[in-house]
Amino acid sequence: MLTVNEITKSFNRKFALDTVSLEIKKGEIYGLLGPNGAGKTTLIRIINQIIQQDSGTIRFDGKLMTEQHLRHIGYLPEERGLYKTMRVLDQLIFLAEIRGLTKSEAKRNSLFWLEKFQIQDWSKKRIEELSKGMAQKIQFISSVLHEPEMLILDEPLSGFDPVNVELILNELKSFKEQGRTIVLSTHNMRSVEEICDRAALIHASKKIAEDTVWNLREAQKQGEFFIRFKGNMISFANSLWIDFELIDKKEISDSRFETIVKMRRGNKIYDLLKALMGNVEIEAVEERFPSMQEVFIELTKEKEVEDEK
Amino acid sequence: MRNSWLVAKRELKERISNSAFLWMLFIGPIVSLFLIYLLFKAGDEGKSTLRILIVDPINLMDTKIVAQEGKTIDYYFTDKYIEVEEFRDSKKYKDFDALMEVNEKILMNKKAFIFYRESPSPDLKMQLKFQLERRVEEVMIEEFTRLSVDEFRQIKQPLNVDFRNVYDPKNEASDMEGWVGFVFGAIIVLFVLLFGMTILRSTTREKSNRIVEVLLASVKPSRLMLGKITGIGISALIQIIGWIILISLGLFVFRQTIFPDLFDLSSWEGIQVTSDVQQQIIDSTPVGRYNQFIELIYERINFGYMLIHFMLLFVLAYFFYGSFFSAIGATAGTESDGQQFLFPILFILGFSLYAGYYAIILPDSQFTQWMQFIPFTSPVVVMVKIAQGYPDGTYYFAIFSILILIVSTYVFLSIAGRLYKNGILQFGHQVRIRNLISWLKKS
Repeated sequence: MLTVNEITKSFNRKFALDTVSLEIKKGEIYGLLGPNGAGKTTLIRIINQIIQQDSGTIRFDGKLMTEQHLRHIGYLPEERGLYKTMRVLDQLIFLAEIRGLTKSEAKRNSLFWLEKFQIQDWSKKRIEELSKGMAQKIQFISSVLHEPEMLILDEPLSGFDPVNVELILNELKSFKEQGRTIVLSTHNMRSVEEICDRAALIHASKKIAEDTVWNLREAQKQGEFFIRFKGNMISFANSLWIDFELIDKKEISDSRFETIVKMRRGNKIYDLLKALMGNVEIEAVEERFPSMQEVFIELTKEKEVEDEK
Repeated sequence: MRNSWLVAKRELKERISNSAFLWMLFIGPIVSLFLIYLLFKAGDEGKSTLRILIVDPINLMDTKIVAQEGKTIDYYFTDKYIEVEEFRDSKKYKDFDALMEVNEKILMNKKAFIFYRESPSPDLKMQLKFQLERRVEEVMIEEFTRLSVDEFRQIKQPLNVDFRNVYDPKNEASDMEGWVGFVFGAIIVLFVLLFGMTILRSTTREKSNRIVEVLLASVKPSRLMLGKITGIGISALIQIIGWIILISLGLFVFRQTIFPDLFDLSSWEGIQVTSDVQQQIIDSTPVGRYNQFIELIYERINFGYMLIHFMLLFVLAYFFYGSFFSAIGATAGTESDGQQFLFPILFILGFSLYAGYYAIILPDSQFTQWMQFIPFTSPVVVMVKIAQGYPDGTYYFAIFSILILIVSTYVFLSIAGRLYKNGILQFGHQVRIRNLISWLKKS
């Protein structure tokens, strides 16, 4: 759907993006991750043609991206902004019209979304009368009003309370079900794990990883297993001997424990199960994958060490 | 262009729904009309009828001043000598508004005193002075010459040396018309400044509340800038048209109700004035000048011709200067930064007014010729020159000036568009010439 090919952009002779390439497929939710100042917002602005790349190309549905394609994109920037003295409905209609809708379509869609979010009472209010969270909702609506094929959202969850985070995440899932593509730039790793199909990590102007979320997590796994058992902790520890390492333990009820065990000397999960069987009553076993938070930290650390060398 | 128009419509809607806009629409013309009224009325201030007692112990005036009695000045004569204090304090004279003493010395030293209780209006003062002068003149003619009054006045007529431009032998251009052009030019400057500031504020506000990023994802920066300037410009145009309509209506009402008498010199009852005498009065008296002003406004200015040029020059000047205001707003890191960069523009606008003034005083000078072609000053100078009237065959100067202004506006809008594009997403920085140059170089 969107092919970013070797995009380079520099400001004052300093690279903001250094030959970054991405492939975003139709119907997927794509996470764009990276620490602050990595170049995510610059990339998003280039995709939206707000700023021009120094080199590289962007293709939308296989064609070189032009202004015409912008009306198929919905954009929610990180820095939110609305006309403070304008009324909610007027503002939504205006923003939908500049995205190519007719006035009647813009009004119909605006009212639909206000009703969907159960905020139709706000339509006559001025933005300055709304709270920050309320204004965020309006901003989110403004980015989806024109029914775009692709949504580019820069930190869409910041400023929302947990209830509204859930509301927005559900909307994003529903967009995905409708076959729309979503590019999500966020620091909220829980949401990345929850809804993203694939993700790329940008660090210091370069892309350092790109894969499915599960592959990224798998690539960073440490051979650790979660085990819940019933029995004696000493028997459990003795069974591990020197082939396995007990990383963490927690007693969750009488004689019931949750533990993290790491494989040693090339042992596999069935070796562990064999060692434990007969000593404790195993209730649950699961391979432990690092969270996206851990993947993010690990990869950026690795990159920093590499750069220092 | 659709999006530019949408941006323009939004700006326009925001402006005209603002109560300050509506206030300005009505208060501006009302204040202007009030000032015009004061200016006209200043000539009609003070007491408007007079009962004057003339002390003439030797009967020099033969108990008459004018042939026919008028409605505004009544003359009463007495041969009894009256002191000023007595006139002032005695109940006997309380019905008289002024006292004048006439004696034989008046024919020699040509000096007379009129003691009034309440200052007469300039109009009445003028009538009184004029009537007395003519009566004293008649007495002197009778006393010292054998000429008839008409013969004497023919001889007395001074040589009228009139300096005229070879390109304007009929003297159609004048200072007064030039000033009218200057006022039109000043209105252009005023509106460019007021609405230019609106462009600046609106741009910095969009920049600081970051909505500009949402807009730029749909609208090209240059079109966003053009839409903004156009929307605010249309609101300025509505304001100006509103002013023109309301001021015109006000002038019409003035003409119908308040000022016809002031304009009509024949209302000076008792004196039959010929047209050359009337012109002399017009040229030499404050009242005449007020009448000249009224005549200028109502008779001599071709408002249709002026307004067409005014509208054209206003639109061009607005877009020309608007591009600067817009570029300043987009490139400024903070609002206060933007204010600092305003000073050069304010200076240039002030200078354009000076150039307009210079064009009134020295319309044919080299400086004026140059200033009418320089786009920074041409809107005011061309307005002055159009009001003065271009001498036959030289109107092409105005066309040439307008063409230069059109081309300059296009060039400066392009330059401003580039600065706007590269500066609008820069925040919190100090504007440096180096940055501006690098933004100008970027595509």
